[in-house]
Amino acid sequence: MLRHSIPQFDSYQICASLFTDVENTRELRTEVASMPFAMIDASCIGSLEQLFCAVYKAILESTYNRLRTKNLNSECILSLSPTSNIGEAFKRFGIKEDSKDILCLTVVNNTESIPDTLFDDVKGQQIELSDENLESRINLDLIKKVR
Amino acid sequence: MSQEVIDQIAAYLTSNIPIVPISQGAEAVVFTTNVHPYEPINAKTSPNDQSTKTKYVIKYRPHKKYRHPSIDRALTKHRTLGESKILAKLSQLPGLHVPKLIATDVYNGCIWIEFLGEDLPDSFGFSNLKNYLWMHASDPYCDDVKKTLIKVGHQIGLLHWNDYCHGDLTTSNVVLHQDNGHWEPYLIDFGLGSTSTLVEDKGVDLYVLERAIISTHSRFAAKYNEWIMQGFRSVYEDEGKKGQQKMKDILKRFEEVRLRGRKRSMLG
Ligand SMILES: Nc1ncnc2c1ncn2[C@@H]1O[C@H](COP(=O)(O)O)[C@@H](O)[C@H]1O
Repeated sequence: MLRHSIPQFDSYQICASLFTDVENTRELRTEVASMPFAMIDASCIGSLEQLFCAVYKAILESTYNRLRTKNLNSECILSLSPTSNIGEAFKRFGIKEDSKDILCLTVVNNTESIPDTLFDDVKGQQIELSDENLESRINLDLIKKVR
Repeated sequence: MSQEVIDQIAAYLTSNIPIVPISQGAEAVVFTTNVHPYEPINAKTSPNDQSTKTKYVIKYRPHKKYRHPSIDRALTKHRTLGESKILAKLSQLPGLHVPKLIATDVYNGCIWIEFLGEDLPDSFGFSNLKNYLWMHASDPYCDDVKKTLIKVGHQIGLLHWNDYCHGDLTTSNVVLHQDNGHWEPYLIDFGLGSTSTLVEDKGVDLYVLERAIISTHSRFAAKYNEWIMQGFRSVYEDEGKKGQQKMKDILKRFEEVRLRGRKRSMLG
């Protein structure tokens, strides 16, 4: 599990993990709304920079403007998208029926503690969340459609 | 720089982000920091070139007390967003060199961009075009200067060919950054930048730069401006008939703007 915080907003903690060969995507998809974390289709993410840029944006919106979605986790998915169309963002960056590589992400207040078991419902193989692993799994054809 | 402005931004950024002021303009103040706004350490760079020297520029548009608060917020948002958008677009144009946009906070008037350039040797100051030309004043027509000025013109040509205008094209707004041993000019400060198909805006860009060269490097200005225009023209010449025609229109307007400028200065 990668733990990180944004220097300017260090009252939040961020946790993220990368899973491959996920077997229960279908089941997970029916529960996206109730999960305490965001599930992102990792084939749309090419770098940690891209991921954390969205986290930064989500916290920024929440602090200085307003949340445009239900919570900070879903706000991160919206912030991955260049437009403010929520449905479009979830369709593109959220998990799909056939997603095999899933990036799990949560942003919570520092006062809460994040259990190591948070992502245990995801039945897949956990690999290091690194630039190399993201870059080798990105689907450029998918990303090129985003605008 | 006013302490009040520094306190404002320091409070906003928190003590986790130490800043060093480097410039104050009418509209914005500029700082450097070595903290990235969001990227985890070691994300991209390998451990050995993860130098502590990596710097980022923070451009901040402070509140203006003389403006009504809601107008101030709207203006700050508009300008911050405008500059960010143009930078982001320009980064995507092949061959054009602008600093990379890292983050934007339109609510607080803050933009983070990649730091470019370095300090020139022998206290010639920061490596913008102005200081670079001063540094070479003892050998003003050397090959390095010629190559660099042609490249400057080439960058402006690319900008204009793609229908963008800079709006404040001075020799301080061209930064020289070393890419494997030679200087590459980068255009910075798109605070007055815009998309424009008008020959007028392009003519004015060229005129402003020409004036800047004449006023600070007058003895060598003729040659310098010739080299810049050589680079500028090369972009349009590579674009066939259409390019040639567009270039002719711009050069014609450039000449008109220059005459207008002269007349204005004669009238005082
Ligand atoms: N990306 C950058 N890299 C290095 N220095 C910069 C950068 N952006 C701005 N500066 C410095 O800050 C000054 C004012 O910036 P600006 O307000 O954008 O014109 C410039 O003249 C530069 O000296």
